[in-house]
Amino acid sequence: MIEFKNVKKTYPNGTHALNGVNLRVEDGEFVFVVGHSGAGKSTMMKLLLREETPSTGRLIVDNYDLTKLSRFRVPYYRRELGVVFQDFRLFPNKTVFENVAFAMRAVGTPGRMIRRRVPAILNTVNLADKQKCFPRELSGGEQQRVALARALANNPKIILADEPTGNIDPQMSLEIMNLLVKINRLGKTVIVVTHEKNLVDYYKQRVVVLKDGVISEDRVGGMFE
Amino acid sequence: MRRSYSLTYFIGQSFKNIWRNGVMSFASMAVLMSCLVVLGGFAMLVYNININLEEFGLLNEIVVFVDHDATEEEILAIETKIRSLDNVAAVTRTTKAQALEDMKNQSEDYKHLYEDITEENNPLSDSFTITYEDNDKVVTLAYLLGQIDGIRKVNNRLDLAVTISDFKNGVLVVFSWFLIILVIVSLFVIINTIKLSVFSRRNEISIMRYVGATGWFITLPFLFEGIIIGLVASGFAYLIEMYFYHYVEIMVMSDLQMITIVAFETVQMPLLWAFLAIGVLTGIIGSSISLGKYLRV
Repeated sequence: MIEFKNVKKTYPNGTHALNGVNLRVEDGEFVFVVGHSGAGKSTMMKLLLREETPSTGRLIVDNYDLTKLSRFRVPYYRRELGVVFQDFRLFPNKTVFENVAFAMRAVGTPGRMIRRRVPAILNTVNLADKQKCFPRELSGGEQQRVALARALANNPKIILADEPTGNIDPQMSLEIMNLLVKINRLGKTVIVVTHEKNLVDYYKQRVVVLKDGVISEDRVGGMFE
Repeated sequence: MRRSYSLTYFIGQSFKNIWRNGVMSFASMAVLMSCLVVLGGFAMLVYNININLEEFGLLNEIVVFVDHDATEEEILAIETKIRSLDNVAAVTRTTKAQALEDMKNQSEDYKHLYEDITEENNPLSDSFTITYEDNDKVVTLAYLLGQIDGIRKVNNRLDLAVTISDFKNGVLVVFSWFLIILVIVSLFVIINTIKLSVFSRRNEISIMRYVGATGWFITLPFLFEGIIIGLVASGFAYLIEMYFYHYVEIMVMSDLQMITIVAFETVQMPLLWAFLAIGVLTGIIGSSISLGKYLRV
């Protein structure tokens, strides 16, 4: 469960990015967060990633109160999340297998478990035959699927996707979104930050619209207007 | 799920990273190695200058003359007192008869001048030549010698001794400061090179953070990288220093024989340990400082 309770965020330069956001996302939900540039989407993402902390209000994710979370507990919190970025953020010098395995290695998963689990995850994202490829040898869509596989590696409860289709063509975008929906059906909470109207309208999921740092609309099965 | 972090994994990752970031790794090694060679060369220079000045200082002697009419017992008592003083390395007695003989021998052409001087009317007196250990304490020694009953005159080269002592101290102070400045500059250069290396991999570090890697998990491969780079650079710096020193040693021994040069074998172990310590510590400190700001978020 994710809960924003009257969350405000003001940056040191005086910018008010969030002006009292109240939002509750239940386990297993699929939510699109939409809004124009400067609406507060990125700040919301940064707060969920615990890159930033709220200026006021409370933010609770699963059993973690992010307003009180110590610096040393942050890595353990992040293991509950799977994150996908617009620019993929893969290790260019590691193979597809190594990129996914790295996320598991980082949390201390034994080698034999990594060797068993990584091929299974790559199979889920239809990349079983690309294990030995380097990111530069893959298309944008394939790279994003590797990022998705890495996000799934540690079996997180929540998947955060920040503009996951921003750098790929429409066909691949659909493929990525279908994978996210499939992951959601496996019981994971999925939050997708996007400004792609067509995708939001097509999937008819819950849509949270941010405007000037506040939630202006929150509709289930909504459209991007 | 069992959590395990193996040391071999971190060391393996470090070697892989060094290989994959070849240019930056090579740059770090080259900078560290160059700094160590310069530092080592400078330290050896200072050490050799100091040794030479000390040896020069050891040539200084004080000659004291006992009273002309002193008896043999009194002279022996004076010798005992001299030997008991601090900073006395050696005492050599010259009897007045020996002194007369030496004088005659030194003036072969004017031997006739001494024909009338016999043992009975010998105007010379017994003397002691004292070699001292520490040039810095020579003033005290000269004073104490003058206080001994039966010593008529203290002949010393205090001005020269003081000049040498001052020069030695001056050289040490100046060179020590140079050495400190060189160490600081080297550290900055090395740390900046490592910083560049870490900066070029900031995306990698941010990915590690997002997948939930702890600070230690991120830091350890970089620390091991720093240690490996430090060890390799130290090893090469030591070899270069050794060949360079041997070359200088041969040159000094053949062309500048008045200068004493310390044998490399006597300083090789301290030099190697110093190189390893500086290399490894710089690698660790450089990696830690450079990583610090990327780990904060």
